[in-house]
Amino acid sequence: MAGIGFELRHLLRRNTLLGLVQAYAYAGVIGSGPWVLSIVGILLIGILSASVVEPATLVTQFQTSVTYLVACSLIYTGLAQLTFTRFVSDRLFEKQGRQVLPNLHGLMVLVLLGAAVLATLALFVVLPGLGLLYRLLMLAGFALLSAVWMLTILLSGMKRYKAIVVLFGSAYALIVVCSLLLRPWGLEGLLGGFVLGHFVLLVGMWLLVVREFPAAPRLVAFDFLQPGKLYPSLVAIGLLYNAGIWADKFMFWFFPPTSQPIIGHLRASLIYDLPVFLAYLSIIPGMAVFLMRIETDFVEYYDKFYDAVRGGGSLQFIESMRDEMVYSIQQGLGQIAKIQTLAVLVTMVAGPWLLDVLGISRLYLPLLHVQVIGAGLQVGVMAVLNVFFYLDQRRTVLLLCVLFVVLNVVLTGLTLWWGAPLYGYGFAVAQLVTLAAGLQLLTRRLNRLEYHTFMLQ
Amino acid sequence: MTHPTAQSADIALVLEGTFPYIRGGVSGWVNQIIHAYPEHRFAIIFLGSRREDYGDFKYPLPANVVHFEEHFLYAKGSSNEEPLARAGDPVGHALVQRLLDALAEGPANAQAMRAFEAVVEQMQPGGTVQLTDFLYSRRAWELICDNYRRHCADPSFVDFFWTVRIMFQPLWVLARVAQQFIDVRAVHCASTGYAGFLGGLLAQTRGVPLILSEHGIYTKERKIDLFKSEWIRDNRNIFQRDPTELSYLRQMWIQFFEWIGRYCYQRADPIIALYEANRQRQVADGAPAERTSSIPNGIRVERFSPLRADRPAGPPPVLCLIGRVVPIKDIKTFIRAMRRVVNQRPDAEGWIAGPVDEDPTYVEECRNLVRSLGLQQNIQFLGMQRVEDLMPQIGLVVLSSISEALPLVLLEGYAAGVPTVATDVGSCRQLVEGLDAEDRALGPSGTVVPIAQPQQLADAALALLGDPVAWHAASRAAVARVERYYTDTLMFDRYRQVYERALTYAPGVA
Repeated sequence: MAGIGFELRHLLRRNTLLGLVQAYAYAGVIGSGPWVLSIVGILLIGILSASVVEPATLVTQFQTSVTYLVACSLIYTGLAQLTFTRFVSDRLFEKQGRQVLPNLHGLMVLVLLGAAVLATLALFVVLPGLGLLYRLLMLAGFALLSAVWMLTILLSGMKRYKAIVVLFGSAYALIVVCSLLLRPWGLEGLLGGFVLGHFVLLVGMWLLVVREFPAAPRLVAFDFLQPGKLYPSLVAIGLLYNAGIWADKFMFWFFPPTSQPIIGHLRASLIYDLPVFLAYLSIIPGMAVFLMRIETDFVEYYDKFYDAVRGGGSLQFIESMRDEMVYSIQQGLGQIAKIQTLAVLVTMVAGPWLLDVLGISRLYLPLLHVQVIGAGLQVGVMAVLNVFFYLDQRRTVLLLCVLFVVLNVVLTGLTLWWGAPLYGYGFAVAQLVTLAAGLQLLTRRLNRLEYHTFMLQ
Repeated sequence: MTHPTAQSADIALVLEGTFPYIRGGVSGWVNQIIHAYPEHRFAIIFLGSRREDYGDFKYPLPANVVHFEEHFLYAKGSSNEEPLARAGDPVGHALVQRLLDALAEGPANAQAMRAFEAVVEQMQPGGTVQLTDFLYSRRAWELICDNYRRHCADPSFVDFFWTVRIMFQPLWVLARVAQQFIDVRAVHCASTGYAGFLGGLLAQTRGVPLILSEHGIYTKERKIDLFKSEWIRDNRNIFQRDPTELSYLRQMWIQFFEWIGRYCYQRADPIIALYEANRQRQVADGAPAERTSSIPNGIRVERFSPLRADRPAGPPPVLCLIGRVVPIKDIKTFIRAMRRVVNQRPDAEGWIAGPVDEDPTYVEECRNLVRSLGLQQNIQFLGMQRVEDLMPQIGLVVLSSISEALPLVLLEGYAAGVPTVATDVGSCRQLVEGLDAEDRALGPSGTVVPIAQPQQLADAALALLGDPVAWHAASRAAVARVERYYTDTLMFDRYRQVYERALTYAPGVA
């Protein structure tokens, strides 16, 4: 008797779980790290040039110009950052490393074309009537920064953190040196140094990437735009996350009582910007801890969990690995909290002195305190988002990003309307609520992790 | 390909992996039966694993098949949508829990059967035990985890999980088929297993009579499948492994098939086996003895009787194995036996007549064995052959299988006057030595040998071929036996009664 041939082998071995645990890394969010470095660089240039470049407004103009370049290029490339990282890790998972380089080049072509078009438009709309050299340097800066962010994301996805830091460090050292040498040429000189430094940075990163991936017969490819390889949710997340981080800053820049015109139509908010920059410096230790915890403890148990799921571990073992994952997340968040509390305390103590050194009125001390707390919370949010990325919960991340953008815009708007005593609370409360919501969702998800892993994939 | 469809039919044949897609004993029998009753309108439900596992029809549908439908139990779902989390129906969950509790008391209890019937009824579309809940709900998840913790002796959770899914998922397909099937007056299943489950479900929900004909014993054949199958992993480590003990996942499959077999048995009347040993086995597996009987296969003797005259006076020294070249036929034992036969009688030949495309690796192994035993001159692989062409040229029909039901080739040989040497499997002893006293009085129509014993097989063959008197006696017994007990007219008469009884049955009297 024939019966149904037992063709189940394929079914059992189909291993649909594989699809879900494609171990790709979303260092994408961590990619925000390098822009902390760029803030340090900008501040350094400002401090070093303050006494030499005359008039002093030139330095402000330079810093403002660069800030806009950084902000706009981050938001712009946010569109492509995550979905392309995912594309690369999927290809690497399929052992299709050859496809990475041509697609990277394809992406670069698109990013640079888009950047050129957007920046050229901006030259006429935002910076009318300014010097040609300045405008051209702005255009070059925007295009270069956009390309640099893409490569940064790619390299951090490959966990080349050390290389990124070394490259950024040397590039910014070069920028500082150049700006010292080019000071005599004023704004254009400073900006020229900035552009040159980023050009070197871009070349360095590109060489690193080319060395990392096997050469391919095709030079340029656009596979990452194919349906199924382009993740609309990741496009939205990248854009929203970056827009969310900058939303309150832009609102302060374009709210007349808190800002002044600097160059062209660019405005800055002296009272808001410097505390913000200082606050971001305070998260460097928190970021380091976060990286350590997530990339070591958490990933270790994450791998063990999914290995046990696929490789035939017992339910008890799977559950205990889940518990270990939860524990490592708790540990990581706890340590971030401790470090950031320490950073807040230091800022509280050293704040008055810092403001004095930078020549800012002590009236803004409360603002600095709130900003430091807000930035610390942002590290927590990033950690939670990163865990969700590991669990491939794009929908949840998108939800949190939308929540954050809306909250940041609404709350910052409220504080602007209310007045100076509440400045900074908009951003901090938005981060706090997002973090709380994120933790709530994460708890739910982790409590049902095995159920989701087995039943819903 | 378009299939005939109708609003109603007399008899629904539920066929699992056989007619009309696969050639073989059961399929041939189904074909015979449908042709034998042109007065009945048949509907066929074919159950397969996946569409791609089957090619085209191997048999054209007879004209009295008015309705044909096919369902694939392991067809991949077309939806790519990510399933949503859900709690699961509490009523359905309670029903399943009640069933599990009842089953914990042991497999053969009436309470568990009632609980099972309640569950399967709710598995039909619109019920409270739905596939989506089984696949995606938290309640189902907790049930699976709970049972793993309590019972599973295999450490691998993922294998347990997928075994559960693959095992039960087809039942929902069948529940839907049962609900949507056309009106029929009787259901006839050609096996237990998933087909038997569907038959039982049709009988349960519609009150129509259910006829069950088992050619092999489903659970037993599955056991062989499961023993061989490497895809069911055994994850016990060297300290946990006890080679005498089946892996837990295999046991799960066997118990599952035993249970759905039981479900079919308690609805089916009559329960028909091919031969006596299998009837006893059915009773042991839970079939009520008073409903069981045997109806052996029959062949058209007239097709073969003229061939008797074509044979030379003495038996030709040709041993012929007719069957597919697959491991279950144990071709290798035949080849090894041929070595011994040829040692004694260098003029002897071994023919292997049957398709060689099913298991190419095994065919290659067999060919290698022929070479290494130096039998290239004596053994031929003939491929598919017309049995009528072979019979006058051969001296013995050899059967070396490790599992058989009621092999038609023996009967065909008998009808042509060719005695047999067969292994002691299925009904072979009954066919060779006779069943009751009257049958046995006809004398042996060959020799029965144990399985996997090339030496005994060879000796038995040599004894028959070397002794013309014994050979002719066996040949006469063979002809007498097939004409008295195994003709198709005999079989058709008995099934005619079965069908008539079922079709005059007033629904709802059960």
